[in-house]
Amino acid sequence: MKYAALIIPLLFLALFIWALVRRVKLYDCFTEGVKGAVPLILSLFPYLVCVLILSELFEASGLSARLTQGLSPVFSFLGIPPEIGKLVLLKPFSGSGATALLSELLSEYGADSYIARCACVAYGSSETVFYICAVYFAGSKKRLFKPVAIALAANFVSLILGCSLCRIL
Amino acid sequence: MNVIFAAVFLAAAVIFLFTDPEGFLPAMLAGGEKAATVSLALLASYCVWLGFFKVMEQSGLSEKLARGMYPAARRLFGSDDRQAVSLACQNLAANMLGLPGAPTPPGIAATKKFLAARNDYAADMLFVLNATSLQLLPTTVIALRAAAGSASPADIFLPTLLATLLSTLLGALLVFLTRRRT
Repeated sequence: MKYAALIIPLLFLALFIWALVRRVKLYDCFTEGVKGAVPLILSLFPYLVCVLILSELFEASGLSARLTQGLSPVFSFLGIPPEIGKLVLLKPFSGSGATALLSELLSEYGADSYIARCACVAYGSSETVFYICAVYFAGSKKRLFKPVAIALAANFVSLILGCSLCRIL
Repeated sequence: MNVIFAAVFLAAAVIFLFTDPEGFLPAMLAGGEKAATVSLALLASYCVWLGFFKVMEQSGLSEKLARGMYPAARRLFGSDDRQAVSLACQNLAANMLGLPGAPTPPGIAATKKFLAARNDYAADMLFVLNATSLQLLPTTVIALRAAAGSASPADIFLPTLLATLLSTLLGALLVFLTRRRT
């Protein structure tokens, strides 16, 4: 697993050497690229605010806890440990919130327990759907129901598979 | 998004009203504060990756990469816009490598181009691929497990990979099946 950390430095090294061979003026070129960063973040900012306020309300109001409780029979019926229900509900909204929750679950149940392994699969195989949706479709007037529903459904089905895989693998 | 925003907002507001009316505004402010800090973190990573992508573009590497992936990617997205498809490929590649923050700039640029060309199908496909997780190595999870004292932190790799492959394939299939025929 140590080698995974090499990916990023190697990537940069390879690109920069390649660029020098092709006689690209690295400094001029890199700064040219960075120019786009501030306009990009400004265009995303309003959408980020909305999604993050939403995720905060979802958690702080106890809505996520209530939903988790209400849905726990459904989760256990599908073979998903109810303990990770909150993680499943939170992940689409907020990556950092889900990360914090995952490390809590890991220390509470032990990193090698079945629950912790399911939580890891739930975390690793899904994405922050609402967040990505807000960012990628920022400012478009498109109807978003279909893509969001598909992404959520696909993540959920794979979660069911992941939890059953955790039993046998 | 409008429906979800309204639903969660209303439900949360009602719960706050009955349980903790004073906690409502602080919760919203906490969200805003998070947005500010997240934006700064994102700005930092966009600076690095936008510089990286510019060097890629000017050294002709993007063009090479796109030429290699174009035939397959053109089919996947149903688009003949070479530049948009190349951006989408950069997004997918960065996703698979799990480079934090890197997929977003080319992903947004590609989505804008797809939508401008009225190719909703391609935009949906790109979004679903992104939103079902393409990352091949769950580095965050493995690091967290190692930190929590797991005996073999990496043994989560296989079930995660299978689950994420299934979600991506299923998502792509659903987008493909529900496309509007033109």
